[in-house]
Amino acid sequence: MAIVTLENVTYKYPLTETPALQNINLQVEEGEFVAVIGPNGAGKSTLCYTLAGFVPHFFKGELTGRVEVAGMESSESALHEWVLNVGLAFQNPFNQISGAKYTVFEEIAFGLENIGVPREEMKVRVEEAMKLTGISDLADRSPYSLSGGQQQRVALTSILVMQPKVLVLDEPTSQLDPIGTREVFGVIRTMTERGMTVVMAEHKVEWIANFADRVIALYEGQILLDGTPRKVLTSDLLKEKGFGISRYTSVARKAKTLGLWTREQLPITLEEAAEGFALTPHPSPEGRGES
Amino acid sequence: MSLDRSFFVPLESPLHRLNPLTKLTFAFAMIIPAFLSVPRLAPALVIPIFIAVFAGKVQKQYLNLSLKLILPAILFMFVMQSVFLPIGETVIFQLGRFDVTQEAMQTAFLTISRIFVMVSSFAILLLTTHPGELMSDLTRRGLPPQFAYVINSTLQILPQMQAKAQTILSAQRSRGLDTESTFLKRVGAVVPLVGPLVFGSLVEVEERAIAIEARGFTSTRPKTFLRDVPDTRTDKIIRWLLLVFVILSLGGRIWLS
Repeated sequence: MAIVTLENVTYKYPLTETPALQNINLQVEEGEFVAVIGPNGAGKSTLCYTLAGFVPHFFKGELTGRVEVAGMESSESALHEWVLNVGLAFQNPFNQISGAKYTVFEEIAFGLENIGVPREEMKVRVEEAMKLTGISDLADRSPYSLSGGQQQRVALTSILVMQPKVLVLDEPTSQLDPIGTREVFGVIRTMTERGMTVVMAEHKVEWIANFADRVIALYEGQILLDGTPRKVLTSDLLKEKGFGISRYTSVARKAKTLGLWTREQLPITLEEAAEGFALTPHPSPEGRGES
Repeated sequence: MSLDRSFFVPLESPLHRLNPLTKLTFAFAMIIPAFLSVPRLAPALVIPIFIAVFAGKVQKQYLNLSLKLILPAILFMFVMQSVFLPIGETVIFQLGRFDVTQEAMQTAFLTISRIFVMVSSFAILLLTTHPGELMSDLTRRGLPPQFAYVINSTLQILPQMQAKAQTILSAQRSRGLDTESTFLKRVGAVVPLVGPLVFGSLVEVEERAIAIEARGFTSTRPKTFLRDVPDTRTDKIIRWLLLVFVILSLGGRIWLS
């Protein structure tokens, strides 16, 4: 069953002429993990904000078309009801810390306080959420004393504890180092394994290739491609339009022009690339080390 | 480190165990009589304040605060008022062209007693109350959550802003900004600091607004609180006694004058 439905959605920010989103049609099934890729300014963040209800409720502006998420219509629901069903986390971990709380435990409980969860239930839910994201040991630390990766996991936990039906992530790893990125993807994987619907704008295509069920390529506010990671990430269109491309795909594409990649299908992961290159006949011993 | 900007001293004491509202009531029960009751009362309020300091076991921190903050301010005030207040007949001594009179010194003494009582009673509140606890208790009693949020977040975000200002300053200096020579040049160096800091903060404010909105900050459901801040019978009795004290002190003013 589709939990997210966008029909002919076009949106303009206030005081702008060109729409940030144009004629978007999109359905996301329950439990699906959809990655959204696109160059800067393609509308990834706007799409995330639309799913999370901030477009148009927070940013105002002009929205046409139908947005339906978890059974709510954007035109009928207020933002504070919308956020009960859709969780949003974004790039800068630091700005997602509420700033009003003194420990990580309190920080995570902040959302539950706001929506009036009784104290005993609150404690149980916070503890469970922290266990799930692996940050139980940070409970008594100050949210500001943490590393970027830890802060981002606190931000994610703060959203997950509210038990949203859909999780929307706007480049949650773009300001993190490789270790922080791995930690955050670990959390997301746990959530998808538990059946959470996830929509995630992300630049790191190597990670998307390994995790996502489906990839949507946005370009100038429109959906350019929509399909399996294999189909979308290896498309020649991405290269033409200046998208970020997996290094495995790039190398194999180059190798193909030189006759060194023999498969039809280009790889999107390290494993596929290694397998494919193993099939390549090696003309000389020097060529072997590089494959 | 999160509590760097607050005065709170985490300890076990009878005062720490009191409800924040009781301590806030105590502060106002000192300040209102100090300013509005008979002048003789103000210096005497030092006694309950010292008792409270000892009950809260915060003598050391209180002394530290007094020496750094209260003492310089009240000494300055005392000297200024004694010398410059043009009142009274009884000249005690002369300082250049100015007569220092007994009346002026009395007024000055009253002024500094009042300031002392005001600053001290708030110092006691802040030294013995966790800011989160204070805000969560006041919000529960009907203080707008937005107000509590501003107070709480200011305590936490100020040090972050300072760190950021330092980063911007270093960045500008690495590009040749002069921050160490003449006074005028150093003042001029503030300008390229303010732009990035202010505009950067405005962008952050929007993101933070989204972040707390995403966590139901504007939810219309009644809020609950993680911190259980007890409000005992002792608290209620103390608050009533303080209220009686305030009324008596104000009544005294009317009866005795």
